[in-house]
Amino acid sequence: MTAQLTRPLLSHADITRVLPHRHPVLLVDSVLELEPGVAITATKAVTGSEPCYAGLADGLPDSAYAYPVSLIVESFGQAGAVLWLVGTPDDERPVGTLIFGAARGVVVHDRAYPGDVLTHRVRIETITGPNAFMSGEVHAGDRLVATIGQVLAVIRETDALDGN
Amino acid sequence: MKRTYAAPLTAVDRAEVLPGKGVRAEKDVVAHDPYLAGHYPHFTIYPGVFTIESVHQAVRRMVAAERGDWVRTEIDTIVSVSLSAPLLPGDVLRVQADRVPTAEEDLVRVKALCRRSDDVVAAKMTLVLRVHPEEAP
Repeated sequence: MTAQLTRPLLSHADITRVLPHRHPVLLVDSVLELEPGVAITATKAVTGSEPCYAGLADGLPDSAYAYPVSLIVESFGQAGAVLWLVGTPDDERPVGTLIFGAARGVVVHDRAYPGDVLTHRVRIETITGPNAFMSGEVHAGDRLVATIGQVLAVIRETDALDGN
Repeated sequence: MKRTYAAPLTAVDRAEVLPGKGVRAEKDVVAHDPYLAGHYPHFTIYPGVFTIESVHQAVRRMVAAERGDWVRTEIDTIVSVSLSAPLLPGDVLRVQADRVPTAEEDLVRVKALCRRSDDVVAAKMTLVLRVHPEEAP
């Protein structure tokens, strides 16, 4: 149980000061390792009480409880956004709304289930202005859940999004 | 009807399967859907990954129409996805997913174009989904 006794580098409360996402779509629980501007290791615990498990029929097989791939990608992207934003000084941080811009080469290797703790290892590939390109892997324990060839996080001016 | 797989939301409201070709589907973007309250509290926007979820669920319907309700269709690879315009409450997301032939019977590959009701392209993506026929009861 040593993992429970070690305080994470960034707690969930710390993460709410970095990311705009809130319950129930704040999908990063803690940050274990951080090399600003380079790499991050962050966790997300999957539980059966999440909204994605609401309203399921009875008598389904285990596979019905596979954590949605869309949420795995969102969680990975949020971990990457923490890495990006923590490593950017306040006065250099683009102002606006954080959005998911693109991804490629996302390969799912295994399912994750309630009880699993996802560990995201995210590396920054390049940052150009309000765009951050990142890559990495998602594990559940020693199982490789997904490899992420590239995700692009973007900060867009909120007025530009709202006045479309 | 109760859902038979975990999903962040019902990401397809209406679908029309084009046998052998693909699927067309629509999703009404509404602020009260699960997860949207937190994305974001000050400004609701349909998450980009939920557009992937809409295409995924549209393809699930296509595969279910072809092979029965009890096959399980899961995302295997997001080959590429790009989001180009925001989807806000009141928008209708219209998905057109065209099937691309694959060598393996249990892999379904689609190229999807996602437009808003004003015809602006919101997203383009290519997905590979794996069909698990062994899940039949």
